[in-house]
Amino acid sequence: MAEEIKKEAPANFKVTIDNITIEVAPGTTILNAARQIGGDVTPPAMCYYSKLQGSGGKCRTCLVEVAAGSTADPRPMPKLVASCRTTVMDGMVVKNITSEKVTDARNGVVEFLLLNHPLDCPICDQAGECHLQDLGYEHGKEGTRYKFARRTFKREDIGPYIQLHMTRCILCYRCTYVAAQITDKRMHGVVDRGDHAAISTYISKAIDNDFSGNMIDVCPVGALTDKTFRFKNRVWFTKPVDAHRNCENPKCCGKATLWLRGDEVFRVTARKDEWGEVQSFDGKTGWICNTCRFDKKKTSDWTIEGPTAISRHSVIGLNKYETLQMPKETVKEVMHGQEPKLLMDIHSVSGVNKPGVDLSKLQRPAVSTDFNNGKQGS
Amino acid sequence: MATKLLLDKAHIPGIRSFEVYRREGGYRSVEKALKMAPADIVEEVKKSGLRGRGGAGFPTGMKWSFLAKPEGVPRYLVVNADESEPGTFKDRFLMEFIPHILIEGMIVSAFALGSNTSYIYIRGEYAWIADILEEAINEARRNGMLGKNILGSGFDADIHVQRGAGAYICGEETALIESLEGKRGNPRIKPPFPAVKGVWDCPTVVNNVETIAAVVPIINDGGEAYSKIGVGKSTGTKLISACGNINKPGVYEIDMTISVEEFIFSDEYCGGIPNGKRLKACIPGGSSVPILPANLLLTTTKGEKRLMNYESLADGGFATGTMMGSGGFIVLDEDQCIVKNTYTLARFYRHESCGQCSPCREGTGWMEKILKAIDEGRGSMSDIDLLWDIQRKIEGNTICPLGDAAAWPVAAAIRHFRDEFEWHVLNPEKCRTQNYGLAHYADPIHVPVT
Repeated sequence: MAEEIKKEAPANFKVTIDNITIEVAPGTTILNAARQIGGDVTPPAMCYYSKLQGSGGKCRTCLVEVAAGSTADPRPMPKLVASCRTTVMDGMVVKNITSEKVTDARNGVVEFLLLNHPLDCPICDQAGECHLQDLGYEHGKEGTRYKFARRTFKREDIGPYIQLHMTRCILCYRCTYVAAQITDKRMHGVVDRGDHAAISTYISKAIDNDFSGNMIDVCPVGALTDKTFRFKNRVWFTKPVDAHRNCENPKCCGKATLWLRGDEVFRVTARKDEWGEVQSFDGKTGWICNTCRFDKKKTSDWTIEGPTAISRHSVIGLNKYETLQMPKETVKEVMHGQEPKLLMDIHSVSGVNKPGVDLSKLQRPAVSTDFNNGKQGS
Repeated sequence: MATKLLLDKAHIPGIRSFEVYRREGGYRSVEKALKMAPADIVEEVKKSGLRGRGGAGFPTGMKWSFLAKPEGVPRYLVVNADESEPGTFKDRFLMEFIPHILIEGMIVSAFALGSNTSYIYIRGEYAWIADILEEAINEARRNGMLGKNILGSGFDADIHVQRGAGAYICGEETALIESLEGKRGNPRIKPPFPAVKGVWDCPTVVNNVETIAAVVPIINDGGEAYSKIGVGKSTGTKLISACGNINKPGVYEIDMTISVEEFIFSDEYCGGIPNGKRLKACIPGGSSVPILPANLLLTTTKGEKRLMNYESLADGGFATGTMMGSGGFIVLDEDQCIVKNTYTLARFYRHESCGQCSPCREGTGWMEKILKAIDEGRGSMSDIDLLWDIQRKIEGNTICPLGDAAAWPVAAAIRHFRDEFEWHVLNPEKCRTQNYGLAHYADPIHVPVT
């Protein structure tokens, strides 16, 4: 909550990220300044979560180059810095995608993160909305240079609703921050160290708290999954709708996203923003309680507001939840005045692929017989 | 005979006890310092040119002057006695045999910094030394050197010994602070630095045992006198813990004007290499500093003799030089295998990585596995390039210096001993029974005439 993006706050620090200058409030981190610009200049973040205090700095995917520290001291910083934990200075010049050093380091970090990751996306419930998947698409290489056995752990139930699949974990520590800051006491943490470090409860099934389900929402990978949803459906087959209910729990936000297939509610999650983080409402983060998340699985439990706005240019929109923006140009403009034609009864594709046939001359939707040697139609 | 400031009384029987230590002139610096203004003590330390003895070599006086001094907030002095670097055992000697020099230095430093409560964070394996320190603290307290209003100065000082649980990472100052607070020993993300937010979010100075002990002679004889010992910016004396293939392993106090060659071969120090073997390589400052082959170790590329001090050891950068580090001097003779040696170090760093940030967590394990494969004759040529690439991607991209410490030894081994790695790859059977030997590593290097 400490470092939320303050768009309305007095902006008087000028910072240049990849040649784009923006004014932000003092105390803003480089990452949040980049998020205000948006788009490609925003560094990816696997461990930082603006709603969780103390998070960030660990995964190193958001490393950026500071080419000039500030107007007062324009020396460059000697090392790449974690943009999520470095605050901007007036006149700071940051290089993200324009820096080869950054791209190189980031590719390295992605390789490190994927080193021991099982890549079991075909059987992972997180597939389709996984931050590591997105990161892999954007920065990963084909194939691996790692030729040793990957580290594995046994699956573990860490409470009645959550399954921990430690093999997939990238140790972002977000779930421990949720437990420490959202629930009334933390029952799990990181045991051991190095590449054998693991999230654990020490005593199995120990997590029993009204807000423990939020750990699933913050998990960037499929390490923590919803046991009421596991293997029920792929996320891209379900349809997200915004809904709310009057929850009795005063700490619960009551605003959620239902993931439907037909009229059946397969899953309930908190509402997320375009960075994959839980949205804030009236300055309060919209964490939801376990009753809303795990027990209210009927549409009659909820008041449905409408479809969730998600940009769908990837499986589930590269997990970037954002307001659906319709392109300003019409299809007609793009096609230089040509009206789009619908093609009915496509059953003979081989007959369709005839570039010599001009569909624009048709006064009705085209059918496959229009392509038969150009005899029928024009 | 070299100047000795820290170990000059180490041979006196019973020096571990307060009575003997006091009779031999101990705690004089406390009496002197309590009559000075705290700022003047900091000034003396600045004048002395004392540099941190834990490895980084940061000027101590400057570090002290960075300490934030907000009103109504306590300040802390923490002594880093979590000496876990392979090859380094100088602090152990100092604390075990003359514990009172540390207590004395701590009282003076605490007074200079305005710290009423100070801590010694000692590694758990030094269990018996923690007992010795606690006994020394009790003796000092009984004799009025610790407690309320010490020596009638109005200054309260107390020291607690905190035992670590055996983690190398807790020697990193912010991980040490976390561990001291009773948390998991993960390094913090800097800034804020401990000088602003350290123990319990209060301004804190973390110093190495030897650094704090060196404050005693600085106050006794003055910073000016201390700065005259040594050469250039390497002032005073340095404890070197020598080990490996040498005749006389042990802790030596040197005044940083002697050459590396003299240190290894003279009878006053290491006494040469046993069984008539020849020098192959040396890690001069603890396991994390770059290893150097014999030819680069003894002379710099300028053709000068390399001296045992910060500047001379670092001459040539990492391309042809190394670092003073913590003073863990490891000598390797011609029978030692660099690949195996590098693998051993990589195994250590893999085991000790805290696992917080990804390059170090995953990279250290990866490097260890590749080095093991090469060592056992299962490696390929591309593995050597891969190792280079991995270390390059770890170095500088991690939260704390452990990533660098894990990357440097691997980088240096490949940089200087690449043909030995290649020999392992090309002779998978032979490398299990035979040794690459000295090869050309002691041959004089071509020095361009300038």
